Amino acid sequence: MENMPEFTLHRPDTAAEAVKLKSSDSTSRYLAGGTDMIVNVRRGIETPETMIDLTAIADIAAIATDGDGLRIGAGAKLADLAVDETIIREYPAVAQAAASVAGPTHRAYGTIGGNLCLDTRCLFYNQSQWWRESNNFCLKHKGDVCHVAPGGKRCFAAFSGDVAPAMMVYEAKIDLEGPNGSRTIPLADLYRNDGMDHLTLEQDELLVSIRLPKAGPGAVSAYEKSRVRGSIDFPLAGCAVRLTEDDGKIADLRIALTAVNPYPQMVNGLADFIGKALDDDALDAIRELVQKQAKPMRTTTVRPWYRRRVVGALARKLTVRLAG
Amino acid sequence: MDGNGMPPAPITSIGEPLPMVDGPEKIAGKALYTSDFYDPSALAGAIKRSTVAHARIVSVDTSAAEALPGVHAVITGSETDEGHGVLPISRTELPIAHDKVRYKGEPVAAVAADSIEIAIKACDLIVVEYEELPAYYTAEDALAKDAVDLHDHREGNIERHVEFEIGDVDGGFADADLVHETEYHCAEVCQVQTEPHAAYVEYDGERDELTVRASTQVPYYVHLMLSKILKMPKSKIRVIKPYVGGGFGCRTEALNVEMITAMLARRAKGTVRTVVSREDTFITHRGRQEQTIKIQMGMTKDGRITAVDCKTIQRGGAHSGYGIVTILYAGSMLFAIYDLHNVRYDGKRVLTNTPPCGAFRGHGTVNTRHAFENAMDEMSKKLGLDPFAVRRVNLIPELGFTASDQWINSYGLPECLDIVEKASGWKERIGKLPPGRGLGLGCSHYISGASKPVNWTGEPHATVNLKLDFDGTVVILTGASEIGQGSNTILVQCVAEVLGIDPSRVKVVDADSRVTPKDNGSYSSRVTYMVGNAAIEAANNLKGMLVEAAARKLEVSPEDVECLGEVYRAGTQDEGMTFEEVVMAALEGTGTITAKGNFDTLPESWGGKKYRGAAIGGTMAFSYAAQVVEVTVDPDTADITVDKVWVAHDCGKALNPLTVEGQIQGSVWMGMGQALTEETSYHDGLLISGNMLDYRVPTFVDSPPIEAHIVESNDPHGPFGAKEAGEASLAGFLPALTSAVANAMGVRVHELPVTPDRLLQLLEDKERKMRSAAE
Ligand SMILES: Cc1cc2nc3c(=O)[nH]c(=O)nc-3n(C[C@H](O)[C@H](O)[C@H](O)COP(=O)(O)OP(=O)(O)OC[C@H]3O[C@@H](n4cnc5c(N)ncnc54)[C@H](O)[C@@H]3O)c2cc1C
Ligand code: SF4
Repeated sequence: MENMPEFTLHRPDTAAEAVKLKSSDSTSRYLAGGTDMIVNVRRGIETPETMIDLTAIADIAAIATDGDGLRIGAGAKLADLAVDETIIREYPAVAQAAASVAGPTHRAYGTIGGNLCLDTRCLFYNQSQWWRESNNFCLKHKGDVCHVAPGGKRCFAAFSGDVAPAMMVYEAKIDLEGPNGSRTIPLADLYRNDGMDHLTLEQDELLVSIRLPKAGPGAVSAYEKSRVRGSIDFPLAGCAVRLTEDDGKIADLRIALTAVNPYPQMVNGLADFIGKALDDDALDAIRELVQKQAKPMRTTTVRPWYRRRVVGALARKLTVRLAG
Repeated sequence: MDGNGMPPAPITSIGEPLPMVDGPEKIAGKALYTSDFYDPSALAGAIKRSTVAHARIVSVDTSAAEALPGVHAVITGSETDEGHGVLPISRTELPIAHDKVRYKGEPVAAVAADSIEIAIKACDLIVVEYEELPAYYTAEDALAKDAVDLHDHREGNIERHVEFEIGDVDGGFADADLVHETEYHCAEVCQVQTEPHAAYVEYDGERDELTVRASTQVPYYVHLMLSKILKMPKSKIRVIKPYVGGGFGCRTEALNVEMITAMLARRAKGTVRTVVSREDTFITHRGRQEQTIKIQMGMTKDGRITAVDCKTIQRGGAHSGYGIVTILYAGSMLFAIYDLHNVRYDGKRVLTNTPPCGAFRGHGTVNTRHAFENAMDEMSKKLGLDPFAVRRVNLIPELGFTASDQWINSYGLPECLDIVEKASGWKERIGKLPPGRGLGLGCSHYISGASKPVNWTGEPHATVNLKLDFDGTVVILTGASEIGQGSNTILVQCVAEVLGIDPSRVKVVDADSRVTPKDNGSYSSRVTYMVGNAAIEAANNLKGMLVEAAARKLEVSPEDVECLGEVYRAGTQDEGMTFEEVVMAALEGTGTITAKGNFDTLPESWGGKKYRGAAIGGTMAFSYAAQVVEVTVDPDTADITVDKVWVAHDCGKALNPLTVEGQIQGSVWMGMGQALTEETSYHDGLLISGNMLDYRVPTFVDSPPIEAHIVESNDPHGPFGAKEAGEASLAGFLPALTSAVANAMGVRVHELPVTPDRLLQLLEDKERKMRSAAE
């Protein structure tokens, strides 16, 4: 079907104007690469009367180093992140995560901003209007039950962006611009554990850029996702690991997960491993810890227990690989 | 003599890797598919679908939709009371549900409007009142004692129950050294061809006539069904098949999309264009059914199969479709690959409240073959035999009739086995691979067209006309449906070969009911074999006319004319006549020449003497394939990587090695999808996986190197010895994969697809068992 609902498209060339246009219509939505948004519009999940196309705003598209590290504009394309030499060298997990998103055409259009602000996903939600109607909709959109956990009042739709965890292990910060001015917050604070309302963005706030602090000396990182196919698929579980070793002992270890909760999540309790040797016991303990904190629900066709198992396995595998 | 002093010779086309004749248009984007037909005045068609799985339709209120500006026609189930379907005995499906809906997504109304957005809005305004009935999403539930019947004429929700016993099965088991029973379950799969369903229908109100373009494999069946449901004479309908973006069996019957579009066009008295979504295409379905197969097999200690007992249940969906044929094939295709004498079969095709299944590539054979080959592999392990050795002791010793009366005229399976055994280094490597790596073997076969047509009309199986005129172009007029498989290319090669002319002289006009001879369509791998033979006959007839004309001009008798393709001459010293000169001579007095060729199957190939179902599975020629699959399994995540596939396919004669290789690779690749990643899933009868993210067709990245070998057994009746090339290599992949995984990890997955979660579960169970055994 070639259905495309009608909307008015604005194409501002500054961030300030984008914010202004956005606040003038309560149904409006930001549109970056559109690789997620247009799918949702066609499915009637999003019904904006106005869309603010961000692709003409030149100064949110650059990737540049400054004194404190790297600044990546929200409009930068994933394909560019994946091949950027600084990112590959200093923040390998970020390049790997960007390269693992969807397929090549999506990465050529899809932006990092759209990736970080991606809606949460669920089998019962990412469906056509007819489908959701036939299933009486659900809590997240128009309905009053959750088909994943029918008793409850919570939504467990999984955040499934690949790049967020890879940036979070570097303690990335984000610059936001809204009707009430700009602010900078840790990327981790962009998210909350609620599938229905997982972003802490204020009304009409625009993500302008991401700042990756200078990577510490000796730190290495990697990202890997589990998926059924080698391309296209969203992560069933994704894991970013950043490791610093000192004389065969763990000097610093950060792990962040995606697709196993409604928000991308830092794994807690890793400080306990500092100073320990990376032996089998430690690696098994890391796997256990990761598995415990992942809480995938039946939001994909692949069973949750597998996603939990596999996210632990990924964390262990990546840590081993980084320890070299 | 040409400039080099070489005598001229007929040009060879057969066996040449000729690029597809319709390639340039496709590559350049000039090929017109159904959705490329567009007229500014064309209305957009949209289908409203049922939101419930099983219900009586109490009322359909279309008033608000009709009142919407821009709406030109609204139709419901009352538009026609004529059912459609492939088999005359099961035409119970209506293009739009009338009294009852039987699956979520079944059409309940349709709209033609100025734009697709208006059409969708109008669909939303149609109010359907349902009185819900109990719904059954599994075969088991539909078969339950107190289940309500979906259709009045199908008691207990059984579409067809097929039972037969050939030979002495119990005696065979008594003779066995090992009797083994095993069960396999195959998920439902879809074709996911590139092009979603589309129809473009022009209604001529002055003449009450229809011109229909549709994405179909069977324009003739579409023609018949349109005439039936519209109650219009066939002569008032013209069906044209534009370029088609793949079919794989999902378009082997007339689909509701084209029938609804035609009804809308007539009602709106104009042109209607319907291009349905990918989700709608999934729901229209006609994919391969979910199926459980229980096989009991007896073997002697050297691996000879003494008896087979196969029980199977297929979940067919809400309507018959090809269902009866499918359940018959599943039984009859147990034969004709190995030397079997004692076989019992019990197959049930069950009606359920899910979208209707159909004839997917490898129709009827794939799931049963999967279970059968796995049973052989399991037993070879138990008996300590090599899987190749077990295949070899069961090879068919001589050509002729099987115990089920199927006719085998060529049999390249032994050579296929030899090739893949050697190419994969099986002997040196099996049992010696590092942990997590494994090899597996699977064999399969397929028919080259069903020898008995589904609808018996007394006509030949295939007819081809050739037209030759002053310009010296040989035009092939054929109803055969080119759907990307290369049938036009093969017909060009057949005709060019017979005439010995440059293939670029031969052009094809295809699949337009007003111009081309009728053809049953592209399914059951019938086209190369049947239409190819008809094309050869037509070309021979044409050649006869040309030789006669040349003889007249050269003043010799026809026997003395030597046809060298582009030159006809009477003796080696004679300069002869060019092809153009011969053509002009042939046109003298008669004008434009048409030559015709037919093909008919031989009655011996019809099957059916030993039991009625064998007629389904009767063919002029069986093709054969063997393949070895190598895998690596990640022990932590159970991710499976297919490292390589070696496949050999006996296609009789590779008329075009390039397209044959493409077909073999495509079959293997499709088998890989079914084996590893593809399955439909439902939530209360609602298709969850109706999109290409949740229905996981393998991507480029997942495609292994496929080493395709062609075996040429030269079938005595095939066109230049050819037989089927596009289906047999699919089924063997599935058991080769599960056997390779078993070889790598020591566990055999009995449920398809072998997704990592299914495999990891088995690996963990195994580990737990070993641990508790150790304690
Ligand atoms: C088939 C398919 C497969 C996919 N697979 C993956 C995958 O494997 N991994 C993955 O991570 N993603 C995947 N995606 C989702 C998507 O392609 C990517 O996440 C992409 O990065 C989204 O970026 P975009 O620019 O296209 O976002 P858009 O679709 O334009 O926007 C996405 C959301 O972000 C908001 N937004 C965009 N920019 C800003 C901004 N600057 N400030 C505030 N809000 C903003 C939009 O309003 C919208 O809500 C897939 C999509 C498809 C269709
Ligand atoms: S988790 Fe529940 S509420 Fe959230 S999208 Fe899925 S079904 Fe809806």
